[in-house]
Amino acid sequence: MTSHQLLNNIDHKELRVITKRAAEYGDQVMFSPTFPDEFRSVQAHYPIFFYKDNATGQFQAAAMFGFSTGENLFLSDRGWDATYIPLGIVRQPFLIGFQEFQEDGVSKTQRVIHLDMDSPRISKTEGESLFLEYGGNSPYLEQVASALELMHQGFERAPTFIAALLEHELLESFSLDIELNDGSNHQLQGFYTINEDTLAKLGGDQLAALNEAGWLQPIYMAIASQSHIRDLIERKNLQMARET
Amino acid sequence: MIDQVKRVVIVGGGSAGWLTAGIIAAEHAAASDQGLEVILVEAPDIKPIGVGEGTWPSMRATLERMGISETEFIGQCDVSFKQGSRFNGWIRGGDAPADHYYHPFTLPTGYPEVNLAVPWQQVRDQVSYAEAVCPQVAVCNGNLAPKTISTPEYAFALNYGYHLNAGKFADFLRRHCTQTLGVTHIKAHVSGVRSADNGDISALLIDQGEPIVGDLFVDCTGLAARLLGEHYGIGYVSKRGVLFNDTALAVQVDYPQPDAPIVSHTLSTAQRAGWVWDIGLPTRRGVGYVYSSAHSTDESAEAAVRAYLAPTIGKDAERVELRKLSFNPGHRREFWHRNCVAVGLSAGFLEPLEATALVLVELSATMIAEQLPSNRQVMDVVAGRFNRRFLYHWERIIDFLKLHYVLSERRDSDYWRDNLDASSVPDTLAEQLLLWRHDYPWRQDTVHAEEMFPSASFAYVLYGMGFSTAPFPHRRRRDQKACARAGELFRQTRADAQKLSGCLPSNRALLKKINAYGLQTI
Repeated sequence: MTSHQLLNNIDHKELRVITKRAAEYGDQVMFSPTFPDEFRSVQAHYPIFFYKDNATGQFQAAAMFGFSTGENLFLSDRGWDATYIPLGIVRQPFLIGFQEFQEDGVSKTQRVIHLDMDSPRISKTEGESLFLEYGGNSPYLEQVASALELMHQGFERAPTFIAALLEHELLESFSLDIELNDGSNHQLQGFYTINEDTLAKLGGDQLAALNEAGWLQPIYMAIASQSHIRDLIERKNLQMARET
Repeated sequence: MIDQVKRVVIVGGGSAGWLTAGIIAAEHAAASDQGLEVILVEAPDIKPIGVGEGTWPSMRATLERMGISETEFIGQCDVSFKQGSRFNGWIRGGDAPADHYYHPFTLPTGYPEVNLAVPWQQVRDQVSYAEAVCPQVAVCNGNLAPKTISTPEYAFALNYGYHLNAGKFADFLRRHCTQTLGVTHIKAHVSGVRSADNGDISALLIDQGEPIVGDLFVDCTGLAARLLGEHYGIGYVSKRGVLFNDTALAVQVDYPQPDAPIVSHTLSTAQRAGWVWDIGLPTRRGVGYVYSSAHSTDESAEAAVRAYLAPTIGKDAERVELRKLSFNPGHRREFWHRNCVAVGLSAGFLEPLEATALVLVELSATMIAEQLPSNRQVMDVVAGRFNRRFLYHWERIIDFLKLHYVLSERRDSDYWRDNLDASSVPDTLAEQLLLWRHDYPWRQDTVHAEEMFPSASFAYVLYGMGFSTAPFPHRRRRDQKACARAGELFRQTRADAQKLSGCLPSNRALLKKINAYGLQTI
């Protein structure tokens, strides 16, 4: 069970956060959830697939790092081998929380930063400080706060994007069959991609509506990201060659 | 000039009427200008009888063909998942927990390439047939759902049908039929029939408004059978001499707690003069004792229902109000006469032991929709085919229901003893049983392309009830093949049962999630 605490500059004054990328800090993951506003940055390095959240069955976009649970082919002894790391990874161990407060007798909610106290990234000796000596936020924390804000906005808009994809029947399930250099065969199942045939058949009005909503760009970004499947297979081949 | 079929009029607005309207309207584009005209006329104050709360897996395809969202259906009709039936106390009677077996909806592992009934004979003392060949038994035992929230609408991990609230289902279908499928809904009492010179029905007279003219009339008026029975006087073939049950005492009971587990199969518990059904909806249970009035008084039947309920609802069992239904088991001599066809209870009614009422509606409406005659000249040909096919279906259902009784070793009442009387067993069933004593049910037992019961169903009931098939006198290639693959397939069944039991949510948890998030369509 993770324990989440509301971040504050009294209880957490001395805390530091390790920002090194390594398996022992929880980076050994197959994918990270992402959102349409992030697709442009993500597609430069990772394939973007869609999957169903286990708890709700709702579609999510994912930046793919590997082919099986717990496999991150970007992670090595030298850290994370890509110039862009998705915000879903970068934000660890912070998350957005909501706090109710009263303003002029009206109850409102505001977004606050929570901290996962069980995260192995939390340290007292090593890593980035969260607060300046006299209580202000450190530049690192400011950076985290703006990443969380970006993620929050992005994930809030994501369901509308998914709904548009479903409405136009632009999602299709696929299974990826991979043959590695050593002759072994692997299959990736349970993921979805953009159905390019359906996309190609959309009429002018439908395309205009998607464009106006801001969804046309992420759709094409997701399609463009497919070229990194090749790259992911190469990484897998290299990793296996190193291991033998 | 040929009289084209341009307008179909359905009389009666229960689940039979609206299912029929929806299936025909969807197939014949009633919502478009070029489509067929479909009208449903319903008396405003007649309450549907509200039986038929269990469906077969076929209902999934039926709903999907009508363009219905499974999420909406589940949310609006008090739906839960049904994965088969569990028969308690049918083998020897009494309260022994071992006296039960399952008839799950999922076909046996390896079916129809391999018949696992053959190698199962070697291990029949250690494991029940259904458990050995079907992972669904373990899932039913755990009150688990047949799918997860990530499984798309109508898709499954294990085959399933539904338990539903029949009244809400009819309302839901009515909205879909009138709002989406282009069915015209007329609320009026049918006061008479106007005949054409050739004896066809030309129009229905209604209490207020113009007569409703039509080219084909579908009688969905329930047990009254206003058109086929009252108007045309088509005779009724009673099957009381085969299937003795003719009375039911039905009751709805609340769960002890709102979050109590929802059983994912129909429970059928044998009694001294019939059996008790027990169907779990999300909101309540529907329970009823269906019995033979020749073998039990209403008083002792009532006592049996209350005794059945007592362990689960305590003192309330003495207070709940029972509703009595009487029926004459059987069916019409023919179902399609001239330009009138009966669907639902107007065609016939049998005890709900294998929940065959709604599936017969689906099959009838689908055949009418798929083979709808384009004009009056060819209608009699289609009617002849329809009558032959559905007489066959009714006979197979009657045989299959009777099979449950003749296999029983219960001798504790006249009811069970009388069920063995040779004069009460149809010849077709007696022949089948003789064959099955010497060979396993297999593909040869399904004669028609659209058989209602696959041989797998016979095997589940036969071997569930402890039936013995003598070993074939010599080794056949297909038996050898089955025995060679038995170890692997039995292992696979066990592994699937374990895996599914670990990953499927409870029936109730999944229904809650579907109401919160909905199922995806892909």
